Amino acid sequence: MNQRHHVDGQPAFVLHAYPYSETSLIVDVFSQDHGRVALLARGARRPRSVLRGVLQAFQPLELGWAGRGEVQTLIRAEWQGGQPLLAGKSLFCGYYLNELLIHLLPREDAHARLFSVYAATLRRFADGAQESDLRCFERALLQELGYGLLLETDAAGLAVEENAHYAYEIEHGPVRLPGPGRSARSVSGRTLIDLAREDFSDPRSLAEAKQLMRTLISHYTGGRSLSSRRIFRELHEL
Amino acid sequence: MNTPSSLESLIEALRCLPGVGPKSAQRMAYHLMQHGRPGAQRLADALQLALAALRHCQRCNTFTESETCVRCLSSKRDASLLCVVETPVDMNMMEQTHAYSGLYYVLMGRVSPLDGIGPGELHLDRLLARCGDGVVREVIIATNFTNEGEATAHYLSEMLRSRGVSVSRIARGVPVGGELEYVDAGTLAQALRERRPVAG
Ligand SMILES: [Zn+2]
Repeated sequence: MNQRHHVDGQPAFVLHAYPYSETSLIVDVFSQDHGRVALLARGARRPRSVLRGVLQAFQPLELGWAGRGEVQTLIRAEWQGGQPLLAGKSLFCGYYLNELLIHLLPREDAHARLFSVYAATLRRFADGAQESDLRCFERALLQELGYGLLLETDAAGLAVEENAHYAYEIEHGPVRLPGPGRSARSVSGRTLIDLAREDFSDPRSLAEAKQLMRTLISHYTGGRSLSSRRIFRELHEL
Repeated sequence: MNTPSSLESLIEALRCLPGVGPKSAQRMAYHLMQHGRPGAQRLADALQLALAALRHCQRCNTFTESETCVRCLSSKRDASLLCVVETPVDMNMMEQTHAYSGLYYVLMGRVSPLDGIGPGELHLDRLLARCGDGVVREVIIATNFTNEGEATAHYLSEMLRSRGVSVSRIARGVPVGGELEYVDAGTLAQALRERRPVAG
């Protein structure tokens, strides 16, 4: 970790930015080949800084940085284009993806496949975010982190049956139940199969998949509540 | 290092300013005590006075010394128009345009989901009450064109539209006198997406 890095022309997205000194930012970035990195953007908070407008979340960028240790120094940032600005519900869904990445992706672990899933999900968000996009992203994220879901065979190694009922045991997979379960981890065989095929045309599969993913994500984030989810919910309570 | 405790608490206190870390707080404290004693006294007095006198205007939420600020009381302003901005500085910018004669509401922040700032933290219920006074007919959202400014705008428009208030958002695009050659690509791309028919 203490070797000196010099990276240039790296495709990346800003996940979040925090003010550092009066004039600088620390930017939490998700890059294609270096995963999540923290970069110091010197002068990015100055009134006339070019970086100010460029370092926005959800926009494809090309970044260059150098340094060693936990926070490296941003040298160059270029806007790549092609991604319309997110608005409305899509914007809140974008924040949700970023919050998941911030809480679950360890720093400096390359996840090039997840990076391309993330970029493709944001492109789809531009036409209006769908719940199924969120489920597919959550599944890809868990897979990349090594928490891949067992969906087509149950914990006993038997093929999942469409009409059977299961309870999803974290780290083990679906355990067959004699009848419909009542916990947050209860799912029908149909939902498991639909989730494996990423087919969410059945509203029940979509609803059960949401519940299952929420339980799994809450487990892997150590029960942390996600503020993007809370704030989006509050919108509908106003 | 042996720092006297009063100096230490001054350094600690200065760190409450945005973007001031331990090093700059220390530099400020030494400067104030060594070369800037009259200035330090003025600062202390001004802080004390502001703390005692300033409050939020009950109508527009900006800082004022009375219950309602001078602008909100003015009969020259069009009370049917309400412009929502993030900060008092943004309100001053809007005033400098000399193009607006309505009233304001200052949010004193923005919705920022990843910083945990939502409608509750921003006290949007107060804005809602303000818009429901029967006088306001149009709300103009002039939050920043950042993701957080957009998130805030979305929140406000959803909240107000469901209550029958007409909502608009200031337009964005190429700056006045801007030559395309020198405009940043992001602004130009968005201006293209938000193009509008030419009248005539
Ligand atoms: Zn006022």
